[in-house]
Amino acid sequence: MREQLERYVDLLFAGAPEAAEVKQEILQNTLDRYDDLIDQGKSPEAAYRLAISGIGDINEILGQPVAPAVPAAPAEPVSESGKRKNPALAAAVQRALGVAAFILCPVPVLAVQDVEGVICLLIMVAGGVALMILAAFNAGKQEKDAPRTPQEKLRKSLNSLVWTFAAVVYLIVSFLTQAWAVTWLIFPMTVAVNSLLEAILDLKEATKHE
Amino acid sequence: MSIAGDLIRGHTDAIILARLLQGDSYGYEINKVISTLSSGRFELKEATLYTAFKRLEELGHIASYWGGSGPGARRRYYAITPSGREACYRLLSEWRETKEIMDKLLETEGTP
Repeated sequence: MREQLERYVDLLFAGAPEAAEVKQEILQNTLDRYDDLIDQGKSPEAAYRLAISGIGDINEILGQPVAPAVPAAPAEPVSESGKRKNPALAAAVQRALGVAAFILCPVPVLAVQDVEGVICLLIMVAGGVALMILAAFNAGKQEKDAPRTPQEKLRKSLNSLVWTFAAVVYLIVSFLTQAWAVTWLIFPMTVAVNSLLEAILDLKEATKHE
Repeated sequence: MSIAGDLIRGHTDAIILARLLQGDSYGYEINKVISTLSSGRFELKEATLYTAFKRLEELGHIASYWGGSGPGARRRYYAITPSGREACYRLLSEWRETKEIMDKLLETEGTP
């Protein structure tokens, strides 16, 4: 477990080779805490978890030594397994998969023409919704540290509103018209509408700043 | 962390200086004492502690050196400087004043 702690701290500072001394200090404190927790009778797993949670937000440290003009390389969140995760990328992939699930959900109905087909459709819709929620969650996680201006908040809620609206319209229109071959075009159209909205907001902000 | 966490965190520098007034120490030991003195109700995150050390060192209130106790363990020790001592006393008197005012402002008649 001590080696695991070392590896965890190594990963935490992987993006900041210049912070070797800080790393050494944080690691030593974390190992001291771990040993102390073990002495108190904690299990290695519990001590590991507590020691890691005692580290806190490394950005607090790494955000400082860099010159103010250059934004500090953000220490990416590192999962327990040590695999780096990029929330923005994950959100994009999940959103794409979610949209794909929505677009493809009529395929089983058309192919099987039976109860099984409908069940498949419902499962795919559920999967799509879950992916969209995950994407929104990841996007939120990524923006946690970013400054949240009212404009950004507006954009975010507008964005999710547009996508939810698109999904609802897609399902209603598709079921009413049964024109599944055509209705998926709603999603490319949503992308266009979304870009248009973003452009309008950009323009508005730009004129406001002048 | 208890409700007072943020209030206490606002006094991180004073807390660290007061600890170092008792003698040189290193990160975990300081945190351990903070935890013990607060009966486990308050503790600093390593990142917060380190940021405070760095700030205090830049201000010249503390100095650091690498020392080791036991095999393989290299620890950065911190020592309070004369200016740190002064800052600590100043922060303490400020705190006493703040405390006195807050007591008067909050402890009105009829509070349980």
